[in-house]
Amino acid sequence: MQVPKNYILPAIVLLISLVNVGLGWLMANVWPAIAGGSGLCYAFLRLVRPVRNSSAKSPRKQPAAVRPRVPKPRKPVDPNDTDALVEQMLEQGRFALLLRPQISSKLDEAQFSRALEKLQESMALVPDGEVVLGRIDEALEDGELDAEEIESSRGRVVGVERFFLDRYPITNGQFYEFVAAGGYQQMSLWDKTILPAVLDLVDRTGMPGPRYWTDGCFPPGEENHPVVGVSWYEATACARWLGKRLPSDAEWVKAGSWPVALSADERTQRKYPWGNTMNPHRANVWGSGPGRIVPIDQFAEGVSVGGVYQLIGNVWEWTGGSFRSGEHPAGELILPSPMKNIRGGAFDTYFDNQATCQFQSGENPLGRRHNIGFRCAVGVCDLVLARSPSARKEPADREPAGGERTEEAVEVHA
Amino acid sequence: MMKSVIQPLESYRLAQYAVPIPCYICETDNTFDCEFCTHCAAPMALAHQANSQKIHPRMLAVVGSSGAGKTVYLGMLMDMLSRVPDRMQLLARGAFSITLQQTTLAALSRCEFPRKTPNEPDRWNWVHCQIRRPGQRRLMELIMPDMAGEAVLEEVDHPHTFRLVRAFLEKCTGVMILVDAMRLREGTREQDYFTMKLLSYLSELKNGSKKEWAKRPVALVLTKADHNEECLEDPAAFARSHAVGLWQHCQERFGCHKFFAAGVAGAVAAHESMTDGRVQVPLRIEPHGIIEPFEWLLERMML
Repeated sequence: MQVPKNYILPAIVLLISLVNVGLGWLMANVWPAIAGGSGLCYAFLRLVRPVRNSSAKSPRKQPAAVRPRVPKPRKPVDPNDTDALVEQMLEQGRFALLLRPQISSKLDEAQFSRALEKLQESMALVPDGEVVLGRIDEALEDGELDAEEIESSRGRVVGVERFFLDRYPITNGQFYEFVAAGGYQQMSLWDKTILPAVLDLVDRTGMPGPRYWTDGCFPPGEENHPVVGVSWYEATACARWLGKRLPSDAEWVKAGSWPVALSADERTQRKYPWGNTMNPHRANVWGSGPGRIVPIDQFAEGVSVGGVYQLIGNVWEWTGGSFRSGEHPAGELILPSPMKNIRGGAFDTYFDNQATCQFQSGENPLGRRHNIGFRCAVGVCDLVLARSPSARKEPADREPAGGERTEEAVEVHA
Repeated sequence: MMKSVIQPLESYRLAQYAVPIPCYICETDNTFDCEFCTHCAAPMALAHQANSQKIHPRMLAVVGSSGAGKTVYLGMLMDMLSRVPDRMQLLARGAFSITLQQTTLAALSRCEFPRKTPNEPDRWNWVHCQIRRPGQRRLMELIMPDMAGEAVLEEVDHPHTFRLVRAFLEKCTGVMILVDAMRLREGTREQDYFTMKLLSYLSELKNGSKKEWAKRPVALVLTKADHNEECLEDPAAFARSHAVGLWQHCQERFGCHKFFAAGVAGAVAAHESMTDGRVQVPLRIEPHGIIEPFEWLLERMML
């Protein structure tokens, strides 16, 4: 049996002290007894304290060791220090803002390349084309409707320009950057109509932030979960802060259903990003998932053709469009309040047919539900994706017309 | 000219009529070919199943005012329990037991609520099922009818109007009372009063079961709680603040009760119908709090 090293010295002192006490008693001398008594006290304290410490202090220390990382707000950057500002914006995920024509000319080549890398890493390019919004033909031809009803219910064809869509929904960690940067205080980011309500957009503790956060921060361990409990207005403000916007309904559906034109009149588009059949391993919906929101990197098999993840399941996603009752399966509806569209279904969506690319539901734009998040989009034509080496020196000469810039961008990403 | 024919003698068939079959709910004797009890209109299939399979199912009542969501709750509960067997498994007995689940889920998947349950007892949907609970080998037999809210209210206001309601409530071992949380939040006391009347009615019923009603489990489910965070987080506190009479009634007369919150539709709109007027339409289906009250009741019923 091994004796711990910190017990050896107290043990020796204990022995000597006992001898001293014994000698003092035998010789009837007070001084050895006092010395022995002092030694006994010392030995007792040294031997007992480690035990008490180990039993009392370790439980207090342990939670600190396993406590999840809480992000700290970034340090303010000197507004005149352009390089530091660019670095901070890249770290905050605001690369789309850096790639705007008005700003990109002020970046050096390395910064521009990094912004471009970030764009390619976190957003997927969706090509232009047409997409059908509304009911898919096969659902109409089930024999229940006559020809006239089918014609009136058939989806409308919408043209979509090239755009980038976030590969993943916005996470708690990403939204924290927006909150920590004072996004709720920057009135320019918010719709004027909503300004009186912004003060009411607080978390459980009354701090600005999503509904289910505490003290202005997301729940521990959920940094990588999609942010939920945000209204349509918060989603829009965050998207603006990132230099992006919410996708339109046509864009969202196009990214998921990936339509292919077979001829001028005929096209095929998928029901789900992976095909036409629900696969429980590819989406977190009721009955297939754990019954709660999961991190954005799970259910990766549900990726779309263009490389967009979790379009179906986990959380509903706000889109830019208003909920129009005519596009709902139930037909013309009387809405209790104006509504914005949500798409994709969530972890608690019960029916597979309500978690398709086509299905849309509505929610009050001020609603801050437990299962609604968002992802952002940005048009290709809004970004500078390539430039000549002399661009920074001669910004006035370099700036091409919008159409030329778009063509250039497409070549880069084709 | 007369033509003689041979007529087979089938008088032995009359023997079946000589054996009365008691209704499983009200115990009134019926003939073997009755589809519904002549006294209370309960389906005789329940009695035939009980006799042929030598089983004695327990009874669980799901009651509430008209439009509280009884049909949706029962249909959704059946479907959820039959889809995810790891928590608790439900196996329907007889084809008639699946009708409620089928009609409810078919409507919800089309983003519609099921049609209103008719007042006539012979048109109600009945569920006879087996419940398999994790860790327990014995299956529990259970009967749950989808009774019309207006019929229940009529029986409560004018006892003996609907014999089936009375007979069933006398025999059932647990009850689930559904209360519309949206109407409670709007401040109308109608739900509060209806539930109080129902609780008074229950507490004055004969003790058909071994336990008095004061000791039988009562689950109070606040439905349509999706858009009511206060109700979802603490249903008991919500009931205390929005249904004071109901809250106090439960405290005084029912020793074994608990409040729950449940919701099925994530958002609701309305639709103008030519025949039914303004009809509620669910915009998406996201069930919450459906299984919990049922689990709680089963645990208490087994004690």
